[in-house]
Amino acid sequence: MRIKEHPILKFKKGRKVEFYFEGKKMTGYEGESVAAALLANGVKVFRLSKRLNRPRGFFCAIGRCASCNMLIDGQPNTRACITPLREGMDVRKQEGRGRIER
Amino acid sequence: MKEEVVVIGGGPGGMCAAIEAARCGASVTLIEDKPVLGGQLVKQTHMFFGSKDEFAGVRGIDIAKILADEVERQGVKVLTSTTATGIFDGNIVGVTTEERYSRIVAERIIVATGAYENPLGFINRDLPGVYGAGGVQTLMNVEGVLPGERFVMVGAGNIGLIVSYQLIQAGAEVVCVVEALERIGGYEVHAAKLRRLGVPILLRHTVVAALGKESVEGAVIAQLDEKGRVIDDSKFGVTCDAICIAVGLSPLVELLVQAGCKMMYVSELGGYVAWHDENQRTSVENIYVAGDSSGIEEASTAMLAGRIAGICAALSLKKERRGYDAEEALKNYRERLSFLRAGPFGEKARRGKESFGIQFSLPLLPSERTSSKKKRHLTAKPFHKGPVAVIECNERIPCNPCVDSCRFGAIRIEGNMNEVPLLEPLLCRGCGECVIACPGLAIFLVDKGFSESEAEIGVPYEMADVPKVGDKVMVTSSEGDVLCEGRVTRVRDSKKKRRIVFFGVPKRYADKARGFLLPSLAKSGRFVKMAVDKEGGKEDFLLCICEDVWRSQVEALIDAGYHSFDELKRILRCGMGACQGKTCQRLILNILSRKLGVSMSSLRPHKARSPVRPTPLEVFASCEEVPQNTGGSKRESH
Repeated sequence: MRIKEHPILKFKKGRKVEFYFEGKKMTGYEGESVAAALLANGVKVFRLSKRLNRPRGFFCAIGRCASCNMLIDGQPNTRACITPLREGMDVRKQEGRGRIER
Repeated sequence: MKEEVVVIGGGPGGMCAAIEAARCGASVTLIEDKPVLGGQLVKQTHMFFGSKDEFAGVRGIDIAKILADEVERQGVKVLTSTTATGIFDGNIVGVTTEERYSRIVAERIIVATGAYENPLGFINRDLPGVYGAGGVQTLMNVEGVLPGERFVMVGAGNIGLIVSYQLIQAGAEVVCVVEALERIGGYEVHAAKLRRLGVPILLRHTVVAALGKESVEGAVIAQLDEKGRVIDDSKFGVTCDAICIAVGLSPLVELLVQAGCKMMYVSELGGYVAWHDENQRTSVENIYVAGDSSGIEEASTAMLAGRIAGICAALSLKKERRGYDAEEALKNYRERLSFLRAGPFGEKARRGKESFGIQFSLPLLPSERTSSKKKRHLTAKPFHKGPVAVIECNERIPCNPCVDSCRFGAIRIEGNMNEVPLLEPLLCRGCGECVIACPGLAIFLVDKGFSESEAEIGVPYEMADVPKVGDKVMVTSSEGDVLCEGRVTRVRDSKKKRRIVFFGVPKRYADKARGFLLPSLAKSGRFVKMAVDKEGGKEDFLLCICEDVWRSQVEALIDAGYHSFDELKRILRCGMGACQGKTCQRLILNILSRKLGVSMSSLRPHKARSPVRPTPLEVFASCEEVPQNTGGSKRESH
């Protein structure tokens, strides 16, 4: 959910861009984190855990906890909370440890 | 690359260290892993407490800009989006960017890497929708996105209280704040802000489970007995889509461990910290530490410790600059730091630092947080003569912006700035400047002679939905009671993004009415207690999120005789995932300490190895330069 009005802050956003989550077209703002764009689109499950396939999502926002590791543009274990969104990005849930695409 | 002083971490402590070292004439490089300087200041929309020297009354986001500008003015070389991933023999700092690895040979290193949020163990703690409170604060205040609509906050320390308030400012609902201890850890003024918005703070309560399949749909809350055990039949469920964890911070010390600094477990400082002296120097020559990585405190103390580390590092290099008396500045910073720690809220930090052998010479304040001074108004109240300020700040917090805000000299603090402020009503003109200036939103205007039947109350207001003159509002007290209906009489704007909203109430409420609710804000604090399934599901939860390790697995191994974190790690892989133990180590050490009946300080944390952040191997392959052997001390290899 995007904050509509705020008593203290004004949010400067980049241009509106389209990206893909699990192949589905979504919109976000260039330069914001992939995690922010996904959460603004109502996506909460970012990956399935390594051994037990339990759903995982955003947690620490500063690239420390690895809870939000995703498959982004073919690169597994990419931290969605500190990866800036770019036009046309291919964002996918990571399953397990992730595999490098050849 | 060679450098005189390398500062790791661009938060308040690191920036101040860099500024001071450069001011003394040293050549300084500041390394920050985010794209911008500021550390946690960039999300702190509230006004800071403390003294004017440490930017009290200024919002954290603005302090970040002031310090970053000063860093630039002092000619500090700044490397953002750059992570220090290791400290090696010979004072070598390994740094990585997205593509490249390189090494900096530093004459002095100042580590100011901050802290990370403590984990809390409960059923489904790994479910999407369970978030770190600091993480949520970053997302909402930096990116403008809320990761949920209805939040339960766990922890009534300052972070839990402040983030709860800021969630409401951002348009979210806060169901309640639960706190396992029997008292609020944070400042009472922050708690009062929430209560006036109708949010209850449930003491001796905690979250025992998150409910939901794919993401959080509710929370199970339980009461705790005096020993901290869950009272079984006290459990109830509430509906929410997010649970925020604010149960304290741990110093981020992995680089210091790697560098071979002597580490100590000091609970008052938040966990494992590097021993350091009053100059912020660690046991390893040439390595200094500042900010939360040297013990969890406030940003204001981080700034001063950073300044001290910066000066001492530069002085040890025999740096001097004409026109800057570094010794004098050092003396001044030390004194300011002692003042900030002299009150009851500084007691923990003081005790922690004393365990390093650091002396505190200042006369200390009484250790009771709340001042017993009942008579806050120095003379009889001439309330019939228009509005008069009423200060409801009863705790000994190091803070004094109210004193400076009053042009008429009506507010004073006697002695140490940790003491509570006093008002001279005869001098007060009711101008409201103190209401705008108080970081705790704890000063109000009261006009008891407003009309025949009504008193007029002016309250500080920082919400987006501003009422209009004539609007009816539900009036609340600082204890959280809804008192009566009030009518808005005027709204005063200010340059500090804070308004004063005035409303009329029946005279009998003049000493109680301190806040109000609008329909748009009235959903917070309202919840229905749902019955929870007594049988419940599995009582187990994951201790290690990265490698999916259950608590039951860890407990079974401990029972089988594996009594150290490293042994558990080798068998179960807990702590070997990408977070490198940040989400499990504290919980596992707690279980070890409880099961074995030994103190936390006798347990060894796991080893910290380079790289301290996950780094693709190709980045290391990019390193071309060969480091020169500077003949650094040979240390025992780990």
